[in-house]
Amino acid sequence: MRILSYSFETALEMSEPVREHDFLLRCQPASTAGQTVLSAQTVVTPDTELTAQVDGFGNTVLAGRVAAAHRAFSFLSAGRVLVDRAQTVRAPAHPIYRRPSALAAGDDAIAAFARDASGAGAPAAAEDPWGTARRLSGALHGAMAYEPGSTATTTCAADAFAQRRGVCQDYAHILIAALRSLGVAARYVNGLVVGDGATHAWVEVHDGNGWRGIDPTNDREVDDAYIELARGRDFSDCPIEAGVFRGGADQRQSLHISVRDQSMRA
Amino acid sequence: MDAYGPDGSVGTAPYTGLVPHTPKINQQLARYGVKFGIYRDGAFTERLFPFDAIPRIIDAGTWRTLERGLAQRVDALNAYLRDIYGDRQIVRDGVVPEDFAFASSGYLPQCVGIAPPDGIYSHISGIDLVEGADGTWYVLEDNLRIPSGASYPLIARSLCRRCDDTTFRRVPVVDNRDYGARLKAVMDHVNRGGINVVLTPGRYNAAYFEHAYLAEQADALLATPDELFCEDGRLYYRDASGMSRVGAVYRRVSDEFLDPLCFRPDSLIGVPNLMAAYRAGSVAVLNAPGNGAADDKGIYYFVPKMVEYYLGERPILSNAPTYLPFYPDDLAYVLDHADTLVIKDVAEAGGYGVVFGSSLDAAGLEALKRAVRAEPRRFIAQEVVDFTCLPTYMGGEVVPRKADLRAFVLSGATTTVWASGLSRYAREEGSAIVNSSQGGGFKDTWVLSR
Repeated sequence: MRILSYSFETALEMSEPVREHDFLLRCQPASTAGQTVLSAQTVVTPDTELTAQVDGFGNTVLAGRVAAAHRAFSFLSAGRVLVDRAQTVRAPAHPIYRRPSALAAGDDAIAAFARDASGAGAPAAAEDPWGTARRLSGALHGAMAYEPGSTATTTCAADAFAQRRGVCQDYAHILIAALRSLGVAARYVNGLVVGDGATHAWVEVHDGNGWRGIDPTNDREVDDAYIELARGRDFSDCPIEAGVFRGGADQRQSLHISVRDQSMRA
Repeated sequence: MDAYGPDGSVGTAPYTGLVPHTPKINQQLARYGVKFGIYRDGAFTERLFPFDAIPRIIDAGTWRTLERGLAQRVDALNAYLRDIYGDRQIVRDGVVPEDFAFASSGYLPQCVGIAPPDGIYSHISGIDLVEGADGTWYVLEDNLRIPSGASYPLIARSLCRRCDDTTFRRVPVVDNRDYGARLKAVMDHVNRGGINVVLTPGRYNAAYFEHAYLAEQADALLATPDELFCEDGRLYYRDASGMSRVGAVYRRVSDEFLDPLCFRPDSLIGVPNLMAAYRAGSVAVLNAPGNGAADDKGIYYFVPKMVEYYLGERPILSNAPTYLPFYPDDLAYVLDHADTLVIKDVAEAGGYGVVFGSSLDAAGLEALKRAVRAEPRRFIAQEVVDFTCLPTYMGGEVVPRKADLRAFVLSGATTTVWASGLSRYAREEGSAIVNSSQGGGFKDTWVLSR
C-alpha cells in the first residue's frame, strides 16, 4: 500500500486565437478496487465551469467550453491516491472487453503470436488468464522494440505488431488483441507512474475474479506505483484530453507530470 | 384489397379518382425536393422517389391487430435497450447469448449507464412488414436508429387530397395529418426543459426535405449543427436573435457523427459534448444513441423472445421464420435446406452479406455450408417469405408489384402506431427488392376506419 501524490499539467499554446473551444478531460483518477482517491482537483485555464460525470467505462470525465477567444489553454490535475493493488473486487467483465475493438482489433499474425507465446503444455488461457497474460507480456516485450515516434495515436495493434516497433500505447493494444484472440477479457488503461515524466498506458486483464494490471512495455505487473486515470476498450475510448475549437491554429503542447510517494515508511 | 380488373383497369376501385393525377403529384413532389440519397460503389447520388397514387389499403380489423402487435414489439425492444445498457439481465438469463447481444457495431459502450428520460430509447420506430401470400403479416426488420420516410406518405396524402378531395370524403380513410402532433407530443413528453429542435446535417443532406417538413409539422425549430452548442452540461440553440435552452433534440444525424468528443472525432456535423449534456439528464435525444444494439440482423431472431421475457405476453406479430445455426437443431435444418433459405452474415465486415441459397450453384452452396459449419454464430438463416403484390400504375397500366410496409410507432406517454405508413414497391415484376435504392417507388397507406 502506498499513498501517491500526483500533479499533472498540460498546456496548449495556439499560434492564433481560437474560440468556442469544447473539451472533454479524463485527467482525474476515480476510486477503483486497487486505488482510493483521497483528494482530486482539476483547474482549467481560462476559467470555466466543468461538468463532472462518470462515462460508460467508469471513468471520471470533465466536460467544458471556453467560448471567448484564447491562445493558451491548460489544465492542472492534482491530488492524492491511496494505492493498494492487493485489494481486488470480484466482478465479472463486461463482454465488450472480450470482443475486438477499433485500435485493438488484431489480425492473424497477432493471433498466431498469442498461440505460440501462451506456450505448449501450459494451462489453457481460459483456465489461467493471468499466467497467460504474463507469458504474452514477456514474449511481446522480447519481440518489440520501444521506439518513440514510430507510431501515431491512431495506429492499430496489427500495424504496430507488423513493424515490431512502437510505444506504450502500441504494446498495450497488441497485448489486448492477443489476449482477446484467446478469449481473455482485456482493457486499456491510461495513467501515471512514479518517477515517469509522461503519461503511460498499460493493460488490465480479467483473471476470472476481477481486473489485474500488467504493463507490457516494462514487462511488469502493475503495482502500487501506478495511478489509473482512464480505461476503455482501447485508446480511442479514453484519451486524457479531447477538444475541438474554431480557428485554424498550430498547437504546441507541453506537459509537466510529477508523481511522488507520500507514504510513511517504517 | 386488390381491387383491379384482370385486364389491368382500375375500374371502380376507391382510388380511381386519384390515378389520373399521378404525373402532377410527382411534379409537385419533385418541386418540394422529395428525394432520397444512396451510396453505391462509394459514390453518393440522389434520386427522385416515384409516387404511385394507388394506395395500400388496410381494413380496420387487420389494422387493429397490426397496431397491437407493433406497439407490443416496440415496448419489448425499448425494454431490451434499457436492459442491455443497464444490468444485462436477459444475457445473464441466457435468453440472448452474449455473442449476439454485443456483436453488433450498434452496441455503444459509451451509452452504458445513461438513463434516457422516462426510459424511452426508441421514440420513433420504423417497423418493416410484409403481408405473406397466406394473409399473415411478417415483420422483416426493426429500424430503431433514425428511421426515415414518414414525411413521404404525409405529403403525398396532402397532395392527393388537394387534387381530389371527393375521394377522401367518400372513402373512410383514417386521417394521417396527425403525425406532426404525435411527434410533438413525444418530444414534449421527454423534454427536459427548453425548446424542441430537429437537428439536420444541413440542406445538402438528401433527407433535408423530410427534416424541414417534420420540424414544421411538429412545431419544432430546425437546427443545423453550428446553431447548437453545449455549455454547463446543457444544450443551447442560438441564432442572430439570441439563444435558448434545448430540452429535446430529434437528431437526424447518425450516432457515430453525433458528438466528436464521444464518437468519431472527425465529425463536422455533430455537437461537441452533446453526449455529456444527455448523460447529465438536461436534454432528451431522440432516438437514443446506441439503439443499433436492438435492430441488428443477429438480434431480430430474439425479438419475439423479448416480448415473452419482458412483457410476459405472446407475440402478436410473427417474424419471418428464422434459424440460428448457433443452436445445433437450427444448424442441422439450415444445412439441409440451404438451397431454399436466405442466409445472412451478421459479421460486420468482410462477410457474405445476404445470400439467397437458390441463387448459388452446387459449389457455391457447399462453400456457404462450410462457412456456416465453421462459424455457426456468424450467420442467421430465414425462409424466403412470398409476399403479396399491390396494384401499381406503371407506364399507363395497372400491374402487380410486390410491396412492403414501413409502419411508424411512436413512444411517449404511451406507445401508439400512426394510422398510415410508407409502402414501397419493387420496380420489376416478381422482384422482392423494394428498397428505394433499387429504383422502386412508394405509395400512401390507407387505414380504413370501418
